[in-house]
Amino acid sequence: MSLFLEIVTPDSIAFAKEIKSVVLPTANGRIHILPHHIPIIDRVVPGYVKVSLQGEDDYFSINRGFVEVYGEKVSIITDGASKAKEEDEAAIEEAISKAQTALAEAKNSNFDQAKVDQLEAAARFEMAKKIARNKSR
Amino acid sequence: MANTRDIRIRIKGVKNTRQITRAMQMVATSKMKKAQESAKSGRAYAMLLADIIGTIADEFEEITQSYFIKRPVKHRGILVISTDKGLCGGLNANLFRELSQIDNSAKFVSIGKRASQYISRTRRDLLADFSLPDKPTFADIRKIVEFLLRNYDDGNIDTIEVVYTSFINTLRQEPELIRLFPLNDLDSMVEKLHSRFNSDSKPFPKDNREILIENKDDVLADLAVLYLKQEIFQLILESQASEHSARMVAMKSATDNAGTLIDDLSLQYNRARQAAITQEILEISAASFSQ
Repeated sequence: MSLFLEIVTPDSIAFAKEIKSVVLPTANGRIHILPHHIPIIDRVVPGYVKVSLQGEDDYFSINRGFVEVYGEKVSIITDGASKAKEEDEAAIEEAISKAQTALAEAKNSNFDQAKVDQLEAAARFEMAKKIARNKSR
Repeated sequence: MANTRDIRIRIKGVKNTRQITRAMQMVATSKMKKAQESAKSGRAYAMLLADIIGTIADEFEEITQSYFIKRPVKHRGILVISTDKGLCGGLNANLFRELSQIDNSAKFVSIGKRASQYISRTRRDLLADFSLPDKPTFADIRKIVEFLLRNYDDGNIDTIEVVYTSFINTLRQEPELIRLFPLNDLDSMVEKLHSRFNSDSKPFPKDNREILIENKDDVLADLAVLYLKQEIFQLILESQASEHSARMVAMKSATDNAGTLIDDLSLQYNRARQAAITQEILEISAASFSQ
C-alpha cells in the first residue's frame, strides 16, 4: 500500500506521484507521514520536504500553506514550491540576500504586520531552498 | 449628390477608425489568450482547496469558527468586478443590470472605474473602490481581501458576495452573483466549484477516522481566508478573460462595420466621380457644338 502525494501551488502542480513516505514541516513541528496515517489538517510552514520514492529521496522546498492527510492521500497546498535539484546555487544565495534586505526594510519602515509576515515567509522559503539543495546532494 | 472631396475625406476618416479598431481587436485577442491561460493555471489549486474544505464539511457537523456561521443579514457586502475601460460591448451594462436587482441596504466595494461610477450615480453605499493592474498577482488582491474581511469582522457587512462576468466561451459572457462568506453551506459550495471548473476528478476513497486538527479554530479561519483570497483572485482572472473577449468581439464587429461603410462610400465616390466626368464631357461637347 503506498501513499499518493501532491504539492499544488497557484501556478502549477509541482508534484503528483505515488510515494513511500514524506517528511514535512508543519506549524507543530516536522512530521513523518507513512501509509495508514491518521487524517489530519494542519498548516505547513516554510521549509523543506523530504519525499521518499522507491529507492531514492527527493527534496522540495515549500512556502507556507496547508497540508491535508486523508485516506492514503497527502495534499500540500502552498504559495510556492520548488524542486531542490532544479535550483541554481548562485540564484538561491542572491534570493536569500534579497529577501533578507526586503524583510529588514519592511521592519524598519511603516509597520504593516501582514507585509512583514509575508516577507518573513519569503525569506524562510529561500533559506529552505538552500537547505533542500544541500540535502539533495 | 455630395461632392467627391467630401466623400474622399470621409473614406479616409473611416479607414483610420478601422485601423484603430483592428489594432484594438488584435490586442484584445492576445490579452484574452493570456487571461484564459492564467485563469486555467489556478484551477488545480482552487480544486484542492475546495476539496480540503469539503473534507471538513463532511466531518464537522458543528463548526464554531465565525466565518462558517450564518448571521442575520442587515447589510450585504458586494464586491463588483467591472472594467476600467469601455468599448467592450454590453459587458458592463449587463453587469449593472444584475446590480440593479439588489436592494439598497447592500454595501458595495468595486474594482474598475465603471462600477464605481455606476454605484455612485445610482446613490448606493460605496465602501471603497480599487483598481488593479493589467496582470494582477496574488499579492495585488491582498488589500482588497483584507478590506472585505475587516468590514466583515467589524459587522459592517454580513455577507461577502461577488458580482462578476463569468466566461462561458469567447462569444458568451454572463454576469453572475456568488456568495463566498459565510461558508455555512459547504456541500453546495464544493459542488458548484466542481461544476464551474467542469472537473471530472473522482473523490479519493474516504477515511472513516476522525480528522485531527490542532488549534482547530485558527486553522479553519486561515483556510477560510485563503479560500476567500483564492476565489476572488480566480473570479478577477475570469472577469478579465471575459472583458478581453467581449472587447475582441465588439472590435471585430466595429472593424467589419467600418469595412461595409468604406465599400458603400467608395461606390458613392465612384458614382460622384463618374457624374462629374460625364458632366464635364457634356459641357465640352456643348461648347464645341455652339462654336
